[in-house]
Amino acid sequence: MKLIVIPLLLFLGTAPMGAGDVETPNKILPYPIHVHDMPNGLRVVTVPYESPGIATFYIIVRAGSRDETEPGKSGFAHFFEHMMFRGTEKYPKERYNEILKSIGASANANTSNDRTVYHMTGNAEMLEKMFELEADRFMNLKYSIQDFKVEAGAVKGEYTKNFANPYMQLYEKVRATAFTKHTYGHTTMGFFEDIVDMPNQYEYSLQFFDRFYRPEYSTILVVGDVTPEKVNALAEKYFGSWKRGNYTTKVTPEPPQTETRYVHLQVPNFPPLVGLSFKGPAFSDKTLDMPALDVLSLLLFSEKSELFKKLVLEERKVRSLWGGAQDSRDPYLFDIQASVVDASDLQYVKDEIMKAIEKAQKEPVDPEELKKVVSNLKYRFAMDMDSPDAIAGALSNYIWITGDPEALNRTYANYEKVTPEDIMRVASKYLVTTGLTISTISPDEKGGVK
Amino acid sequence: MSKKSLFLLLVAFVLSLPAMATDFVELRLSGSNKVVFKFMFRNGSIADPVGQEGLTFLTTSLVGDGGTSTMTSTQLKDFLYPMAAEISYSVDKEVAIFTFEVHVDHLDNFYPVMIDLLTRPRMDEGDFNRLKSNVENYVSQVIRTSSDEDYSKRALEDFLFRGTRYQHMPAGTVSGVARLTLEACKAHYQNYFRQDNLMVGIAGNYAPALLNRLKEDVKKLPAGAPQLPPPVTPRQPDGIQVEIIAKKGALGSAIFTGAPLAITRRDDDFAALMVANSWLGEHRKSYSRLFQKIREERSMNYGDYSYIEWYANGGGNMLPPPGVPRNANYFAIWIRPVQIAEGLKKQYPELSDITIGHAHFAIRMAIRELDLLIKNGMTKEDFELTRTFLRSYIKLYAQTPAQQLGYLMDSKFYGRKDYLAEMDDLLAKVTLEDVNRAIRKYWRSDAMFITIVTDVSEAEPLAESLKKNLPSPMSYSNSLKESLSAEILKEDEEVSRFPLNVKSVVIVDSDETFK
Repeated sequence: MKLIVIPLLLFLGTAPMGAGDVETPNKILPYPIHVHDMPNGLRVVTVPYESPGIATFYIIVRAGSRDETEPGKSGFAHFFEHMMFRGTEKYPKERYNEILKSIGASANANTSNDRTVYHMTGNAEMLEKMFELEADRFMNLKYSIQDFKVEAGAVKGEYTKNFANPYMQLYEKVRATAFTKHTYGHTTMGFFEDIVDMPNQYEYSLQFFDRFYRPEYSTILVVGDVTPEKVNALAEKYFGSWKRGNYTTKVTPEPPQTETRYVHLQVPNFPPLVGLSFKGPAFSDKTLDMPALDVLSLLLFSEKSELFKKLVLEERKVRSLWGGAQDSRDPYLFDIQASVVDASDLQYVKDEIMKAIEKAQKEPVDPEELKKVVSNLKYRFAMDMDSPDAIAGALSNYIWITGDPEALNRTYANYEKVTPEDIMRVASKYLVTTGLTISTISPDEKGGVK
Repeated sequence: MSKKSLFLLLVAFVLSLPAMATDFVELRLSGSNKVVFKFMFRNGSIADPVGQEGLTFLTTSLVGDGGTSTMTSTQLKDFLYPMAAEISYSVDKEVAIFTFEVHVDHLDNFYPVMIDLLTRPRMDEGDFNRLKSNVENYVSQVIRTSSDEDYSKRALEDFLFRGTRYQHMPAGTVSGVARLTLEACKAHYQNYFRQDNLMVGIAGNYAPALLNRLKEDVKKLPAGAPQLPPPVTPRQPDGIQVEIIAKKGALGSAIFTGAPLAITRRDDDFAALMVANSWLGEHRKSYSRLFQKIREERSMNYGDYSYIEWYANGGGNMLPPPGVPRNANYFAIWIRPVQIAEGLKKQYPELSDITIGHAHFAIRMAIRELDLLIKNGMTKEDFELTRTFLRSYIKLYAQTPAQQLGYLMDSKFYGRKDYLAEMDDLLAKVTLEDVNRAIRKYWRSDAMFITIVTDVSEAEPLAESLKKNLPSPMSYSNSLKESLSAEILKEDEEVSRFPLNVKSVVIVDSDETFK
């Protein structure tokens, strides 16, 4: 098949440029990223985008379940995200809800390992109101003990709905097994016993707010029908008096793993599954390790891979195959999962995955295949950037990991630099059995996969 | 280029062409870097023959996830990969939709392959066996074991539309899927995917000539329209009818209620009911009434919402996606999983003597709120605020080219030109009196179907409690109870005795569902 060549400029062809904008050649995001750093440490990022009348407003707090270092406090970053909707003195929760409703925005928040994100998409003309509301709760949050206890029940409800799913139950076990010291050992939801105990942690919640809801932990990101001048002025007006904090999380590093670990979940009448979770690297745009692993995951486990064709399309022993590393601040996991048709094939499927990995460690990939994967990554990204929320979502990922939105452009530039040798190198460095946790779901009492 | 001139270029123009054979909807967006095609066939799971439930879905999957006349599915995946071109498909009760998205750089290479896929699909036996196995897996295992919320939602439709062609899930039933053959899929594609039951949508950055080419190319599909089953209406409930699905190992009780609703987006009254519904239970909004009462004040679950039309993938979507237009409609309340007795007993020693969890109380609370709304109507203040909210909020439904196109195509299904714009006009005109009249006209609190997916340990005591209308006091932990206001505890007392017009309660074994 003829190789499709991708000149980088094609991604820039449709960028709306205004007077005074800086050209951004060779960048995957065809829109200029304006960064304004305030004296209190708050970073303000603006990306003008043609979405008449619509703007997306994000606040990214670089604190997540990774920062839950004290025993018994797992799940607290997520719980705290819930508390942020409980009002202030100026805007008690009823009034807050009323104003939020009047804005007519789609607003919510979510928490993960490394961050908590608050997002709002709505009428760009209401931008000042968004700033006012957000600044008030980020600086002056105030809730009663009653509200605190009640909200804890909602978190338990969230756990109850999520953990009806066996995949979530397995995920919880994999993390607790793969990480023995690092806070990545618990999920963002937290351990159930800690969730049940949450109503008793009011005092700790005040401490949590004091530690992390500070300008140096936060970035404001606005995308859409806005100008950086307006956004920066509003940020100064509403967040200028926000005081810096002085807390730094000390996360215990995970000691090196020395042998393969195993996790099993017995579930009757459910599709069997085998998962391989290798210890991976932390995200970095300074080395090619993570980009090379991203490319490798597509070469080995995507729909174009030989393994997918063999196991899913030809032999039909596997229903779905997936593999990849999640960007994270500290070394995390490179996960591979296969939903298997018959539980008696779990060992076979695991062996086939390992064979594909061993081949990737020993044999350089065809450079043409490598180019196709990079082409896929870049075209997929270009096509996905079709709304303010999509752009903000993509940028926020790099903001919470590195603090710098330009890391997005650097990452995609790095994909271009990955060589067949890099693929072999990262496969040999990270996809090793001493860093592996094998997980299984089957109707049997034991997983039985070696 | 100046920002202003670019803005003018970006402004979409919408052109709906008169229906001749195939219907077309066009949305040119010169600022976009891609082109989106949608092919919406009027068939859906109601077109499944009796005994072959799931045929439309498997047929659609076999085309959308299969090969073309010249490429196997494997070769097609290889071909599409460097372009990152996307092919997706969906089947609901009345439509099957193929969606294609491609970057403008690859449009010329992609287009003929897309047409070949649609007009001469490969229908390969290997693909058929693989996809059939996956659907069998879904209807027999995944739907019952993955998300109790989705399970209760699908079970509600089974209950509400029992005995009609709307009853089964689009993916089918266990016995229906088992009977499907490759030959049946091939024949179904020939008979039910034709020029005259097709609406084609195109959006994005393309040359006008492409539309003419597309019009010619769809003529490669068989002419004429299929004979579709007659329109369906939901069953009328006899009072409140409850089905409890007993499942081993359920962590909570997942609840859905549904009652027939006489109107759809087609009707202007929909705007009035949209205001009332938004106030009562706007999807994923903390300021709606049900959410406030059940979650915010009482901590019972993750959220509680109401709906005046089908909402696809409510657990994942914050905003309603297009592509699920329906003529048969119902009003629903979604109560996300609440605690069961076994769970509460383990968590709190002080609750060791309870016999049921929170499901009965939550149902009473939700129906009481509905009842109060029907009796009292909305206040002027709530009406104004909710209307203001909606007029801004519905503009967020269609932000991407695919969403914009999808909403325009759905508009045509309902006999409208641009549903979102027209709804905004209707919302501007609607009055508080219109809203309160619509509430009284279309909603009832004494007749509905309810499905509850819960643990086997909870099923019998809950059924007993519902059947006998026994008081269902809330069971809070001591820690929470001592912090609740007297006002809330007083209201709890009223709610715990609120009479429900329960006429029947049946317990169904999870293994017996969707057969």
